[in-house]
Amino acid sequence: MIVGQQKPFEEILSSLEGYKSILILGCGTCVTVCLTGGEKEAQALARALGRSRADETPPLVVEVNTIERQCERDWIEQFLNVPPDCQAILSLACGAGVQTVADVYQGIPVIPALNTTFLGALDKPGVWNEKCIGCGNCILTHTGGICPIARCAKRLFNGPCGGSSRGKCEISAVIGREVDCAWQQIIERLATLGRLEDYGKLQPLKDWSTETGTGPRSLIHTIEMPTS
Amino acid sequence: MSFYRVNEKCNGCLACVQNCPAAALQYYDQEKTRKILHNMSLCARCGHCRRICPQEAIDFAEMFRGRWDEVAVMELVHCQVCGEPLYTSNVCNSLMKNVDQPVEPLCPNHKKTFPLDVWKRVAAGRNQDAEAGQ
Repeated sequence: MIVGQQKPFEEILSSLEGYKSILILGCGTCVTVCLTGGEKEAQALARALGRSRADETPPLVVEVNTIERQCERDWIEQFLNVPPDCQAILSLACGAGVQTVADVYQGIPVIPALNTTFLGALDKPGVWNEKCIGCGNCILTHTGGICPIARCAKRLFNGPCGGSSRGKCEISAVIGREVDCAWQQIIERLATLGRLEDYGKLQPLKDWSTETGTGPRSLIHTIEMPTS
Repeated sequence: MSFYRVNEKCNGCLACVQNCPAAALQYYDQEKTRKILHNMSLCARCGHCRRICPQEAIDFAEMFRGRWDEVAVMELVHCQVCGEPLYTSNVCNSLMKNVDQPVEPLCPNHKKTFPLDVWKRVAAGRNQDAEAGQ
């Protein structure tokens, strides 16, 4: 799932300076689930904005709407109702959603309220952790289902490094939060799987062209539309 | 149709309503009754309500199983030789409109062999006629 975190309120406030009529647009999928950009957060942001700009004349007009997915162009075109006097859309979607809305409504500035942060999973209620960077060349077969690119601070292919201590990464002391050493986890998982011999295999240089080598990536399926 | 199930352990504390990120749960207090409502279309199926419910009153299994609802019923056209279902009469009608002639309902297999089948039937008829004439 795509995980996003709301920008500091002051930043959102300053990005909306000068706009008198705003649509706050929540997104109903990933960022709803990770509790940062759904209907609830959109409503909360509307209330906070209303309070911050309560003294203005004419008063700030804020509308709130949430659409199932902001990253699907035809849904935006067909189902999103933008008020005619809307001067700016504050999108609570990930970067893909913000850009799709901006493509459809080219005459209206679309302002992100979130920072899109990572592809992650819910490890326990309220805690999402990064698991994947979308490199386009998955190596989880060799690493016991634990990604050293996303989960090792140094993105090592043959770890652990000397900074691994008691199963924790040395970065923990720097950032003030305990971070598991991904390679310690990989070794333990391989042992559980009875595949520790995989740990001894040197991994070849990774082909990074699948990540950024060909510019923006696309997935193209040929969809034959039935004739009627 | 909602597949959201709440069991008898629910005490109406509203933890689910207050914490639903998709605003898919609502409640109404009317006289002596508290009603909790769920909107399947708004629900993101995130399971946050289930995790947060102190009573363990939310059963999510039905949400994942769901059920097939009938959304359309229409007349079928079958291959006139073997009876295999081909398409709906609506498709047949629009096809006929597009090609401006009647459409023979035949499956791909019998489209190929149909002239041969016709010839065989005609030939069989001729033979019967001939036998009857003798």
